[in-house]
Amino acid sequence: MTRYSKLEVGLLIFLIIVALLPFVLILVIAEESPYHPVSGEPVNEAALATGITITSAKNTTWNMPGAIGGKTYVLTDNKGEVVTVSTQSFSSAEARDAAIRMYHSQPIGRGKPVGSLVVLGQHLVYVTPANSDILKRLAPELKKNRTP
Amino acid sequence: MSEEASGQSNGIPSKKVLGLFALAMINVAAVLSIRNFPSMAVYGWSCIGWYIMGAVMFLIPISLAGAELATGWPQGGGVYAWVKQAFGEKGGFTALFCEWSNNLVWFPTVLSFIASTLAFALTPELANSPYYMFSVMMIAFWGTTAIAYFGEEASTKFGNVGVILGSIIPAILIILLGVWWMGSGAALVLPPLTLEAMMPVINVTTLPFFATIILLFAGMEMAGFHALETKNPQKDFPRAMALSAVIIVVCTVLATLAIAMVIPANQLNLASGVMQAIEYFFKAAGVPWLVAPMAILITLGGVVSLAAWLIGPAKGLGIVAEEGNMPPLFDKTNKYGAPVAVLVIQALIGSLISLLYVFLPSVNQAYWILSAMTVELLCIVYVLVFASVIKLRYSQPNTPRPFKIPGGMAGVWIVGGLGMFGTIFAFIVGLMPPSYFTTSGFTYVGSVLLGTFLLAVPPLVFLKFKKASWLKPAGGVR
Repeated sequence: MTRYSKLEVGLLIFLIIVALLPFVLILVIAEESPYHPVSGEPVNEAALATGITITSAKNTTWNMPGAIGGKTYVLTDNKGEVVTVSTQSFSSAEARDAAIRMYHSQPIGRGKPVGSLVVLGQHLVYVTPANSDILKRLAPELKKNRTP
Repeated sequence: MSEEASGQSNGIPSKKVLGLFALAMINVAAVLSIRNFPSMAVYGWSCIGWYIMGAVMFLIPISLAGAELATGWPQGGGVYAWVKQAFGEKGGFTALFCEWSNNLVWFPTVLSFIASTLAFALTPELANSPYYMFSVMMIAFWGTTAIAYFGEEASTKFGNVGVILGSIIPAILIILLGVWWMGSGAALVLPPLTLEAMMPVINVTTLPFFATIILLFAGMEMAGFHALETKNPQKDFPRAMALSAVIIVVCTVLATLAIAMVIPANQLNLASGVMQAIEYFFKAAGVPWLVAPMAILITLGGVVSLAAWLIGPAKGLGIVAEEGNMPPLFDKTNKYGAPVAVLVIQALIGSLISLLYVFLPSVNQAYWILSAMTVELLCIVYVLVFASVIKLRYSQPNTPRPFKIPGGMAGVWIVGGLGMFGTIFAFIVGLMPPSYFTTSGFTYVGSVLLGTFLLAVPPLVFLKFKKASWLKPAGGVR
C-alpha cells in the first residue's frame, strides 16, 4: 500500500481548505435574506418615496412553481434613465430559493447573470440593468423590507 | 521517439484519438450554451452589436492566440504549457490553477441548471426540492467524472454525440423555427433592422454587461488541454479553432435573433429561466410537444459543457503533477491515461460546494460575489495567455509555429493587446458591486479580491514545498 509523507497529506488538506475557504467566508460575510411576509408593494412604495416615476405597471406571474404573482414596472427618473423592475411573490421559502438558484445558474457565458436580483422576504425583485442610478436610489427604501 | 511523437508526458502513454472534428467539438461543448440565447435576446437587434464586440475583443484574439500557442507548444497541459514557456512554472501553474479553481465556483451553477432543466421535462415542482436538486446534481457530476475516468476515447465519444444532440441540434431547431415563423407571415416583435438598432448602448450602467460579454466566449482554449491525444496538433488545432468559432458564432447569433423575433422582450423575464423562454417560443410556433424533448436535449447540453470544463483543466493539473510540481498523491493516472487523483479530489470539493449551494438558504448575495470571483479568476488566465503569445514572439522567435498570427509583430500586438485590454477591463469592471447590495462596497471588493487571491495562490505554496522526489522519472516509476 502506498504511504504518503506528512507533507503530501498536509498539502492535500491545505488544498481542500483553501478551495473551500472563500465559499465559507463569503457565505458568512453575505447577509441572509430570510423568508417572511412583506405587505404592500415594496417597489411601488420605494419609487413613490424617492420621487421616481412609474411609467407603467402590469400584473405578471412568472412561469415557475410556487410563483404567486407580482408586477412588472417600468421606472424612469428625471435624467431619462429607464429600468424595468419585475417583482414576484413566492408561496414558500423553498420555491423562492429555487428561483434564486435558477437565476444564478444562468450566467452569460462564464460571467455573471444578467440584471440584479433583490430578495425581500417572500418577494424577488428582478432589475435590469444591474447597475443604475434608479436602483441606487431605490435601494435604501427596499432594504427596509429585507428582514422581518 | 520524441515526447510529442509518442504522445507521452513523463512516461504516461496517451492514445492519439482526437482529430479535427473532435477537437472542434470540445471547444463547442465548452462555449456554445443555449442558456445565453434568451438572456441576449432581450437586447433585440443590438445583440448583434454586443456579439460583434465579444468576438472582436475576445473570441478572435483567443482563437488566434490559442492556435499559435497550441501549434508551437503542443506538449499537453494547455494554458499551463503555453504560459510556462513564457513566464516559467509559477506563471504556468498559476494560470492553470485559476482555470481549475474557477470551475469550483461554476460547477454548482451548471449542475443546478442541469437539475432544474431536467425537472422541467419531468415535473417543474421538483426544482423546489433541495433533495431532488442535490441528487441529480451529484449523479451528473460523478457520472461525468466517471466518463472522464475511462479516458480520452470515452470522453470524446460522449462529447461528440452530446454536443451535437445537446447544443447544436437545439440551436438549429430554434433557428429553423425562427425561419419558419418569418416565412409564415406571423408578426415579428422586432422593429425593422437598421444600423442604429444594431448598435449596443454603452454607458456606466451597461459597463458590467460589457465585461460579461467579453467572457461570453470563454473556453476556446479548452482543446489545448488535449494536445497529447491529438493526432496532428500542428495541423488540426488552427482548423479546429476556426471550425468551432464559426459553429459557435452562427448558432449563437441566429438562435438569439430567432428568439428575439418571436418573444416580446417583456416576456423574456430573465429570472424565469431558459426553459420558460423556450416553452413560450415553442408554444408560439405551434409545437408545444417539443418542449419536454428539448428540455432533455438542453440537459444533455449542460452535461456536455460540464464535461468539457471538468476534464480539460483536470488533465492540465495531471500534467503538472507528472512534472513533479505537485506531490505524487496528485499524480495517479489509470490505465486509460485519466488523472484519477485530480478527478476524485475535484469531485469531492465540487460536491461539498454544491451541498452548500443547495442547502444553505438565501445564498443570493453570496453567489453574486462568487460569480464575480469566477470572472476575476478567468481574467487572470486570459491575461497570462495573451501576454504569453506576445512574449514568446520575443523570447522564442525561432520555435516553429505551424500557425502564426498574421501581420508579424504588429499583428501579435494587436491580437494580444486587444485580448489583454478586454480581459483587464473585465477584471476591473468585475469588481463593481451591483447598485443594490446590503454589504458595503469595500466589503464586496475585499471579498472578491480575497477569494480570488485564495483560489489563485496554492500553486506558489506547492512550488515552495516542491521536492525533487516528486518528479516521476522516465518510465513512470518513482
